[in-house]
Amino acid sequence: MNKTSHLELLIALLIAVVSTTLAATVWRIDAVSSSAGDASRQGIIDTIKKQSGANEDWRKTYEEAGFAEGYAAFLAQVQALETSGDPNAAAQAASLRQYLLPNLQMLGAPLSSDPGYQKADGTYDLQKRFADLEAASPDLSGLDPQASFTLADRYASEQRWLTVVSVLLAISLFWLALAEVGGKRMRLTSLVIGALAYAAGLLALVGIEAVFLILRGGVL
Amino acid sequence: MTEAVPVPAPEPEAPEKDRTRILVVVLTVLTTLITTLVAGLQADANSRAAGSNRDSQVLAIQASGELHRLALQSAYDMNVFAAYLKDSQESTVLQLTALQQQQKGQAAAAADSQLQAGVAQARADTAQKFSIFFNDSRYAPTSAGAMPDMSAYVTDSYAAANALVAQQNAASAAYDRWNRKGGAYTSILAILAVTFFLFGLAEALAARLRLLIAAFGLVALAIASLWTLIVLLG
Repeated sequence: MNKTSHLELLIALLIAVVSTTLAATVWRIDAVSSSAGDASRQGIIDTIKKQSGANEDWRKTYEEAGFAEGYAAFLAQVQALETSGDPNAAAQAASLRQYLLPNLQMLGAPLSSDPGYQKADGTYDLQKRFADLEAASPDLSGLDPQASFTLADRYASEQRWLTVVSVLLAISLFWLALAEVGGKRMRLTSLVIGALAYAAGLLALVGIEAVFLILRGGVL
Repeated sequence: MTEAVPVPAPEPEAPEKDRTRILVVVLTVLTTLITTLVAGLQADANSRAAGSNRDSQVLAIQASGELHRLALQSAYDMNVFAAYLKDSQESTVLQLTALQQQQKGQAAAAADSQLQAGVAQARADTAQKFSIFFNDSRYAPTSAGAMPDMSAYVTDSYAAANALVAQQNAASAAYDRWNRKGGAYTSILAILAVTFFLFGLAEALAARLRLLIAAFGLVALAIASLWTLIVLLG
């Protein structure tokens, strides 16, 4: 076997290796793209769950706020009767305070009963009540859709970089094919360029995988 | 006895014919390169479209939630304000009644009306204390007897929801743009597939037709490349 035949065999082998690497890279791009889609989907599901929880907590907050304001107004009414100086009104006020006010206070609880929700001006701290309701349901309010979206973005970013690798491998294939079919004069030059492009692609592939593996905390 | 028919040996291709074959191989490899680039661009466009689509969905959910919260808040604010209006007007009417009763010499009835007016006023004062239209300086009346600034209240209330909807529209527009690009790249890839077919056919054909078919392939390759540039820069 002469020197030319050896070179042709080497080029053919390199073409086979580069083709296999390219196929593996395309598979990895597809897998990464699929993972990005999964993470995005999870993020949207978490967003819907979290928002539904917040919607319910706001509904409950304003429902309680309505009852609590009603209680405060009725309390003012009773106090007005008590301070009117009219014995009949005072008697009515005493009955109302004893029998009706506790029920109204219960309806508006805990805003109307817990001093922690009362502001200095006598109104109620609705933001605090909402925050407490959210804290009481950590299974919904504790969801973090942004974490899923960040993960999805990292997968998408890796997908783009892997696409660059696939271009490098395609360039390598291009030059190796040229080396295979080209004349003797350009063969060695084309082979070197093709091999360098492959080396760059392979290095980039390993680097990208390592970097994104670390960024994702070891998750493939 | 049969005489062996001599089989003519295949004529070696002329050097220029060999060159056209190599040219077709080079064009095929070039098509592979361009196809890889377009596939990469398509992957990027699809990835960006998916991201924008996701953002638009998330923002739509958030805008919907904000509108839900806003509806609850508005209902509460309006109920408190309506209660204030009712009780304060009831107090005024009962005071007038008491005045009329006094003028008629009905002292006991006047005192009773005055008591009820006081009770209504106490309720109205409480509602006023709770109402955002009185305790928030952005909406509170600037003079006695004036009405709260409802217009400012409505504008402020919808500000957050409007901002979310504006962001959602922008994300949706970005999705449309990237999705269109992704679709265009798919069409370009289809043209490149035709190009591959033509170059493959050219390789298999006799030398005379090879150049013609390769020329068709080259035209298809040029169209695909030009379209890619237009989509990329558009």
